[in-house]
Amino acid sequence: MAEKKESYAQAMEKLEDIVSAVEKDELDIDQLSEKLKEAQKLVRFCKDKLYKADEEIKKIMEGEDN
Amino acid sequence: MGKEPLSLYELNAMVKQALNESLPEAYWIQAELSEVRSNTTGHCYLEFVQKDLRSNNLIAKARGTIWANVFRMLKPYFEESTGQAFVSGIKVMVQVTVEFHELYGYSLTVIDIDPTYTLGDMARKRREILKQLEEEGVLTLNKELEMPLLVQRIAVISSASAAGYGDFCRQLEENPYRFMFYPRLFPALMQGNQVEESVIAALNEVNDRRDDFDAVVIIRGGGATSDLSGFDTYLLAANCAQFPLPIITGIGHERDDTVLDSVAHTRVKTPTAAAQFLITHMHQADESLEELAQTLVSFVSERMEKEHSRLTDLTNRLPLVIKNRTIREGYLLEQLIQRIHVGIARNLTNKKHRLMLLEQQVNDASPERLLKRGYSLTFKDGKVITDSAQLKPGDLIITRLAKGEVSSEVK
Repeated sequence: MAEKKESYAQAMEKLEDIVSAVEKDELDIDQLSEKLKEAQKLVRFCKDKLYKADEEIKKIMEGEDN
Repeated sequence: MGKEPLSLYELNAMVKQALNESLPEAYWIQAELSEVRSNTTGHCYLEFVQKDLRSNNLIAKARGTIWANVFRMLKPYFEESTGQAFVSGIKVMVQVTVEFHELYGYSLTVIDIDPTYTLGDMARKRREILKQLEEEGVLTLNKELEMPLLVQRIAVISSASAAGYGDFCRQLEENPYRFMFYPRLFPALMQGNQVEESVIAALNEVNDRRDDFDAVVIIRGGGATSDLSGFDTYLLAANCAQFPLPIITGIGHERDDTVLDSVAHTRVKTPTAAAQFLITHMHQADESLEELAQTLVSFVSERMEKEHSRLTDLTNRLPLVIKNRTIREGYLLEQLIQRIHVGIARNLTNKKHRLMLLEQQVNDASPERLLKRGYSLTFKDGKVITDSAQLKPGDLIITRLAKGEVSSEVK
């Protein structure tokens, strides 16, 4: 679980890296679309964390209620 | 007739009268409550004590009474002002009249109370606890924990039946952004004298599964003023200060922070405010995500635009560049051709001169000229003879002169 907790922060960090690379013009055009795709994936991942129920967490939360 | 004994009643009546006469006023006193009982009649019965500051031994004690008509107003006034239940163990400043009853003896009747004294005493106790925690180096430990970017898995320490917990869950559930939260209740008593023990037990339970949670929320329904003294204890504060997850408190009171509030990572007033805090925290995470995504999009489109205009620029410049280049190449070519012409001409002239010179030299060196000057050439079998040793007697030789040839035989 600790790992899962980290991953939002990790995703954000990766996203920051991509943004800063684009910002600094460190990517050539070939890389750009690839990185953009990756960024989109990261954003979707983060949004899911915010808005979609995580069944695994729910299970853990309810697991000890019995 | 030496002895005319008084009845006990008569003596007590005399004591009563003496007291009434010598202590007729109302007096403000400071004392600790060692016992507080109220019954169905609404009267409140107390025991006041004073302890020796050093040894903590009792050095004074008195019973006290607050009549129902006074107690009805005095109790809520005191509790609202202090956030402290009117219970045993607290220090109070009360205005009393001194009573003596023939049957019940000495007692004090409370007619007024000054909550500021109790507040001061509570504040002093809180300061002492905070100071101790500071000296132990744990006071700010919980505050120093980093609140995770997402706080969704929430261990809630509260009383299950309290309205506060319901408010909290409803507020989270109905958050306008539709964020996901996973609250889980760890029930604890939130008032009375078992608060400390009960909340610490709940904290221990959370601690056993701390990887399952992002933060702890300690809440308790607001509304009626009730006992907060349970949140002002050293043990609870020390537990919270050193707890491995950030703690958010919303224990519903308006007065100064309790010790628990002081050591918690984040302090808000009510359970609803605690929920709001979590929602805002999520909203911030969402916004910074949104911001990053926006930045990325704008940078990428800016970059693409830049590349596009670079391409256009290059395309536009290309014909001109090519034309210039062609012209320059043409010119270079022209120059080369020119140089070749000049070179060839110069070369030819040189060669002519050399040829003429050679011709001259050849002419000068030709045998005809030598022959004309009287030299002759001698051949044998068509070969020129330059040494007499090449010849022997009887050989036929031919001598060539400037004009004609002579044949001879060697002797």
